[in-house]
Amino acid sequence: MNLASGKFSSRGEGGLSVRPALAGFVMAALALIISAPAPALAGSCCGGGGGAALVLPKSGEWMLDVSFDMEVYDGYWNREGKILPDAPGSDLKQFRLNPGYAKRIADRWQVSAVIPMVRNENFYENSRTTTFAAGDTTISLLYETFDVVTCVWSVESLEDLVPAAYLGLALTIPTGVSPFDGAERSFDVTGRGFYRLDASASVEKTIWPWTLALSYSYGIHIERPVNREYGHWVEPYNKRLGDRRSFTLAGGYTYFMETDDNITLTISYSDLWEGTATTGGEADPATGLRRRSVSGVLAFSNMDKSFMTKLGYSQAVKQEDWGENFPLTDIVTAGVTYVF
Amino acid sequence: MFSKIAAAMMALTLLAGCGMTDDLAPSGADNRGSSAALAVGDMAPEFTMPDIWGQPHSLTGQLAARRGVVLYFAMWCPICDSHMQSILRGPLKNYPDVDFLIVDYVSGTVEGGKRAAMSGGYAQSPFIILVDERQKVLNTYGATMGTTVVIGKDLVIRMIEDYKSPARLEEALAGL
Repeated sequence: MNLASGKFSSRGEGGLSVRPALAGFVMAALALIISAPAPALAGSCCGGGGGAALVLPKSGEWMLDVSFDMEVYDGYWNREGKILPDAPGSDLKQFRLNPGYAKRIADRWQVSAVIPMVRNENFYENSRTTTFAAGDTTISLLYETFDVVTCVWSVESLEDLVPAAYLGLALTIPTGVSPFDGAERSFDVTGRGFYRLDASASVEKTIWPWTLALSYSYGIHIERPVNREYGHWVEPYNKRLGDRRSFTLAGGYTYFMETDDNITLTISYSDLWEGTATTGGEADPATGLRRRSVSGVLAFSNMDKSFMTKLGYSQAVKQEDWGENFPLTDIVTAGVTYVF
Repeated sequence: MFSKIAAAMMALTLLAGCGMTDDLAPSGADNRGSSAALAVGDMAPEFTMPDIWGQPHSLTGQLAARRGVVLYFAMWCPICDSHMQSILRGPLKNYPDVDFLIVDYVSGTVEGGKRAAMSGGYAQSPFIILVDERQKVLNTYGATMGTTVVIGKDLVIRMIEDYKSPARLEEALAGL
């Protein structure tokens, strides 16, 4: 069957059944997008550089993924949701190289790890600083609720409407340089300094060539002792960042080429909240954040080699009240994935 | 072949991060006094900086007519804005006999500091906004974004730490 002809067969008629890798790969492309958390708290003032979870296609045993992000700062939302500019003459960027590895450990279970490397570039009128260090590491455990891919070419029964669902746990490990460790300047920060445990649920349905996906995650930061701030030893206290929630809605379209390669375009909307932190048991009213963003990702998959390249762009929506206490950033991402 | 590449990639990543990573088992030990950095009880170094209108301000000059001085180091970011709003609403109102000095260490020039303060909505605020043109004061105090310093009339540092809350700042101000 020529997938580019538009003559899509229903499941079991030769289309999807003989191409499980194709379906799995497209699903993985979508899952990569909806499982990717919004940037932790990136930037010269806030640190960040957390990795995103990886999703291995159903047919894959293990996977290598390398992506490169360039995040450019363009003002920020204050606590009231008003947009304010960065310091005049400033040029603030963060670059992240995210090598990742995923492995299937059972039919429905997979694990992954991403260890980003972060470079901060903070250029102001009177100073130019660059920093290169590890970011925060993410280790994930993912459970698939399905045994065969659920993508269909047409809906002929209720069974064809069953979506694919993923349930996940992710642990963020503070391998980045945080204000509570060796960093002496905010410009050097590449991590938040806290362990975080996220639980996530993702649901997606593909009726070729369209896909709709929904994801929700809830994360809890673990309280930690602090005795140093930017190189200054301070009176010890305990600190805990606020709980974090995120929601993503994504829609995708897959175009099949004559060669059976395919290109998937995904557009998504994400909403991220973080509650107020507590210091010494007291709520810190200056903390907490919200960020709403839209993203587009173009992914090219080569079926024979289980090879995927992706190019993405994410923009914080530059509207008043669409964020709080958070930088406005644009993120360009390019990456490659190879599945074994 | 690919497994070797994967292993090499991970090893490089770990190697690059070696020595730069955060403490994965953080300590709550009280190590104050074990470094050369400025600390509570030290004498505050003198400084002179222009404000965003070009007028010079020195530490001793400010303290001549005031009970104390608060320095807050800002770089016009969301966290700084949040902290400054928090100071405006509480400590600044409750301690009218203390000067609250915002140290802009990124704008570089008086004109740049003025533009930053105006675009941030602080040019006409009760804060005195100073421009640390060459980051000399920033470096002398070992400060960074959010560093808050409370200095008494006797020039002794009463607090030097990352801004935490208005209550914490007022606790230090109450001791002046």
